[in-house]
Amino acid sequence: MEERKAGASRRDFLKLAGTGAPAAVAAAALAPVSAEAEEATGSMLRETEHVRKYLESARF
Amino acid sequence: MADNPGTAVVEDRALPEEEQLRADLYGLLARLLSAPPGAKELGALRALKGDDSALGRAVTALGKVAAVTSVEAAEREYNRLFIGVGRGELLPYGSYYLTGFLNEKPLAVLREHMAKLGIARVDNVHEPEDHIATLCEIMAGLITGAFGRPFSLEDQEAFFNTHLAQWAGHFFTDLEAAESSVLYAPVGRIGQEFMRIEVEAWRMDA
Repeated sequence: MEERKAGASRRDFLKLAGTGAPAAVAAAALAPVSAEAEEATGSMLRETEHVRKYLESARF
Repeated sequence: MADNPGTAVVEDRALPEEEQLRADLYGLLARLLSAPPGAKELGALRALKGDDSALGRAVTALGKVAAVTSVEAAEREYNRLFIGVGRGELLPYGSYYLTGFLNEKPLAVLREHMAKLGIARVDNVHEPEDHIATLCEIMAGLITGAFGRPFSLEDQEAFFNTHLAQWAGHFFTDLEAAESSVLYAPVGRIGQEFMRIEVEAWRMDA
């Protein structure tokens, strides 16, 4: 009941606000992140490395 | 009506159009912020064209910049922004934006919240979970039901308000303004506009 009351205006607003982003955004949302991450071993290692550095520098 | 050009990506579960759009935008941000776009992704970005709204103009800008960006340039830019030598230009972590330090209380609060929702990071990922890309991926998953079931708007709002509302807009502003940002400048703008829309839309629930 509460959801229905909220739903109407929220829906109208989002439809209006979202018209700027065409359905093509759906196509651009592309492959899931995790699949990509699993393949790109190199970049994950690099990220791990830079995170490790941050963690070291953040800990004092 | 039922004319939906984006069918390939849309799952069977019929999500209302506007909620699917939110999931797509979160998905787009998550993808681009977790790694630089490859050839296939850049190709898809080049096709983007929005209308005359603020969000639409940002989408159009992303399409235009993508059209003149090579895979190599995108990767260099991503590395300068987020990886760098020693550190990248930006630190896209909630804890850092909220406390000035990595791995502080906001990350602990997030982990608790994720556990409650039944979401865990993949074992081989060591990135702290409060990375902006992870948070966008979680929001997309809460909307679409990628984590077993779609979560209610109340659950989505609680997650957004606790883990994104206070800093994501600032991060996207920084991303747009970052010295290294070219392709990522319109991504920052899209993020800002989208966060504004999200905040506004939650307000309508009240």
